[in-house]
Amino acid sequence: MPNLESLLDIGLNHYLIVSAALFCIGMAGVLVRRNVLVILMCIELMLNAVNLSFVAFSHYSENINGQVMVFFVMTIAAAEAGVGLALAVTIFKKFKEVNIRFFEQLKG
Amino acid sequence: MDLSVILFYGLSLIVLFFALSVVVSDNPVYSALYLAITMVSLSFVYFLLQAYFIAGVQLIVYAGAVMVLFVMVLMMFDLKKEKDSFSKGRISNLLKVSSVGLLLGLIAGAVRMSTDLMSLSGMSHGKEGLGNTTKDLAILLYTDYVFAFELLGVLLLLIAVGAVAVSRIKGGTHA
Repeated sequence: MPNLESLLDIGLNHYLIVSAALFCIGMAGVLVRRNVLVILMCIELMLNAVNLSFVAFSHYSENINGQVMVFFVMTIAAAEAGVGLALAVTIFKKFKEVNIRFFEQLKG
Repeated sequence: MDLSVILFYGLSLIVLFFALSVVVSDNPVYSALYLAITMVSLSFVYFLLQAYFIAGVQLIVYAGAVMVLFVMVLMMFDLKKEKDSFSKGRISNLLKVSSVGLLLGLIAGAVRMSTDLMSLSGMSHGKEGLGNTTKDLAILLYTDYVFAFELLGVLLLLIAVGAVAVSRIKGGTHA
């Protein structure tokens, strides 16, 4: 049972729990939502959760390599958002719709 | 009661509340706004963790560049409040949400169980801090990780060309 002292002494665990909650919220969004743009936003949420745990580990183990990884993850996330949005624009031009329900007949 | 404790709990609540708002909001424009708020408050969390350069990059790249990209595409689509923003099927939705909850419980339990393990492996609990992290980060980025860094530059160029090429496709197998 967590007592008041462990709640007030902020450690690595607290950050990891917040990161896990953020990841799960993003995952629920990807599973439940039907809008391509909102799904992309939820993927960004998940990547941010991973970044938060990287930074927390880096701070509490006093090892700066974790922050380099965050740098790389951020760049990849920006690239992914760019390509994803370009694909969304292309699909929207063809179907006039962003709901993934309508993308069943994706053919050449 | 320490100031950092209050800051941690306040910022965590803000981050989680607005992240949840991104998921449950009907209007995608509001979702983008809530996502921007989440990004900004996450960068404050990075400040709290003394990762100052990462916090700045988070503000510039996410709250600046990526959010502008999202909002521009949203404006281009001219989306109003949509009807089927959530997937249908009450049972399948319940299953999805409960499986996500199970995953959260699993991770939280694992974190709690591994507390003793992590304190054993020589962590100094961040009392002293890392000091001048930006300089160390730059040195590390241009010595140990220089190959990955250059590769990242090539990737960004590739993405820039690819995004333009993809968005110019008119349909059919040949662009």
